[in-house]
Amino acid sequence: MELFTPDFGLVFWMFLAFIILFAILAKWGWPVILKNIDERADKIDKGVEYAQEARAQLDSARADAQKYIEEAQIKQAEMLRDAAKMKSQIIEEAKNEAAKEAQKVMDAAKVSIEQSRKEAELQFRNEVSKFSLEIAEKMVRNQLSNDKAQTELVNKMLDEIEKN
Amino acid sequence: MNRQRNIILTAILALVMLLPNFAKASGSNEEGGINVKEILFHHLGDGYGWEVPFSHTYRIPLPVIVRAEDGSWHCFSSARLTKHVEVVDPATGKVHVETEPQIVTIGKGDWADRYQFVLAHASKHKDKVVQLLLTSPAEEKQAEEIAKAQNDEIVDGFVKFDGKYYKEYKPYDISITKNVLALLIATVIVTAIAMSLVRYYRRKGDKAPRKGMGFWEMLIEFIYDGVIKSTLHDKAKKYASFLMTCFFFIFIMNLLGLIVIFPGGANLTGNIAITLVLAVMVFVVVNVNGTKHYWKEIFWPDVPLFLKFPIPIMQFIEIFGIFTKPAALCVRLFANMMGGHMIVITLTLIIFIFAMFGAAVAGASAVVSVLFSLFMLAIDVLVSFIQAYVFTLLATIFISMSDVDDHHELHKEAEVIDNIKEIG
Repeated sequence: MELFTPDFGLVFWMFLAFIILFAILAKWGWPVILKNIDERADKIDKGVEYAQEARAQLDSARADAQKYIEEAQIKQAEMLRDAAKMKSQIIEEAKNEAAKEAQKVMDAAKVSIEQSRKEAELQFRNEVSKFSLEIAEKMVRNQLSNDKAQTELVNKMLDEIEKN
Repeated sequence: MNRQRNIILTAILALVMLLPNFAKASGSNEEGGINVKEILFHHLGDGYGWEVPFSHTYRIPLPVIVRAEDGSWHCFSSARLTKHVEVVDPATGKVHVETEPQIVTIGKGDWADRYQFVLAHASKHKDKVVQLLLTSPAEEKQAEEIAKAQNDEIVDGFVKFDGKYYKEYKPYDISITKNVLALLIATVIVTAIAMSLVRYYRRKGDKAPRKGMGFWEMLIEFIYDGVIKSTLHDKAKKYASFLMTCFFFIFIMNLLGLIVIFPGGANLTGNIAITLVLAVMVFVVVNVNGTKHYWKEIFWPDVPLFLKFPIPIMQFIEIFGIFTKPAALCVRLFANMMGGHMIVITLTLIIFIFAMFGAAVAGASAVVSVLFSLFMLAIDVLVSFIQAYVFTLLATIFISMSDVDDHHELHKEAEVIDNIKEIG
């Protein structure tokens, strides 16, 4: 039955070996390994979380970008429409302005023409009256060489005035 | 492919047919039979040297360290315990070498000045080194008379060597035997595994190790997360080192025992001394860390008064339980591992037992027994892991039952134990 009686030497060495092994591994072995495994697991968890967050962010960023693009397109269309409207407006305004200006110029021209016409008329009248007076003077000088004729004429004239 | 397989099969069968002849040449003695019990116990037990394959006489010599009767320590090589002698077989005339024990003498001069040690055979301390003491002729005669009277050559206090009786002294023996060396090898391997991981982390930081180291890391995580942390929760860190050391030490020792040649082959965890020390360690850890609550549960448990007051029945059971728990650990590991070794050796011995019935029977039994022992060895690999796992698991549970704070946790542990019982 030697199998069931523990041998002193083996017990002694086993005790020593176990204590030494335990001392070494408890100091430099297991705590380091377990800490490292834990830390790595934490890091992996964090990495997964980070990746998920990044993905969500990317998705939302994509949606944002789409929204911005749509907004920009709407704005662009609006701007184009505004520009077209403004263009026609400006043209219209310019036309109106031009027409007004033209009217003014024409009015001024009319006035000046009228004025010159009046001046010319006046001048002409003056000339005509001058000529007629001259003619009349000449004629009168010829005719009124005698007194009778002169009186006749004065009478005639007076008649005329009276008639009027 | 087919032809190749045929050739291999034929070669194996031829070898199998040759096996009985080898068996006859080496295993059996003159009577043709073999001493199964002796071979079995030799393989299961310890030895001063380490056997090598294919040699019956040569052993790897190991240091023998003994304390003589007068308190002096002596160290010598185990090779000095035996001498090689050439034996001529009377039937065939062949010469073969056998080993015989011889006296190791340390120091010169008279009996009084020198120390003599011998590997005992006919003594109470069979196969152990004993010191021979100065024996007077009267004492020798007395021993012979006792032997004759009891019809047994083993006499208490005497060792018979070379036909003479000597007074013996069993010295304190801390020799580096086969088992001790295997133990040291296992220690080195466990340290190497843990330190290689530590060194890897220091070099590569948070990169996960692959292949071999990845396997060890997986095992560490399996034990730590699956056993220690899930049972001890926030106290896991405190006991992790002890429990992990237990697991890996047992696991490596178990596996080493399954390897047939040199670094392995020692039946370590199948030796009661090893499991006893492990169990004592668990006992110490459990009871040193026992809380007030744990001791209260032992000396004043929550049971009806009549069970604990006039006659302390419960106290008796509980105190008994303190010792049976680690004892169960000790015996379970020992019996499982020894049983595994025993089965494999017995299956192998079947070949030599059947050898006497002729070559054909021996060949057939060789095929069967090799297949069976291969199967058993494969199962033993599984058992190696399971036993290390169970030892750690139960140690963890014992610790969790002693290091408790309140009732609530105790109930939780009871649940855990119930679950385990259901699984078992």
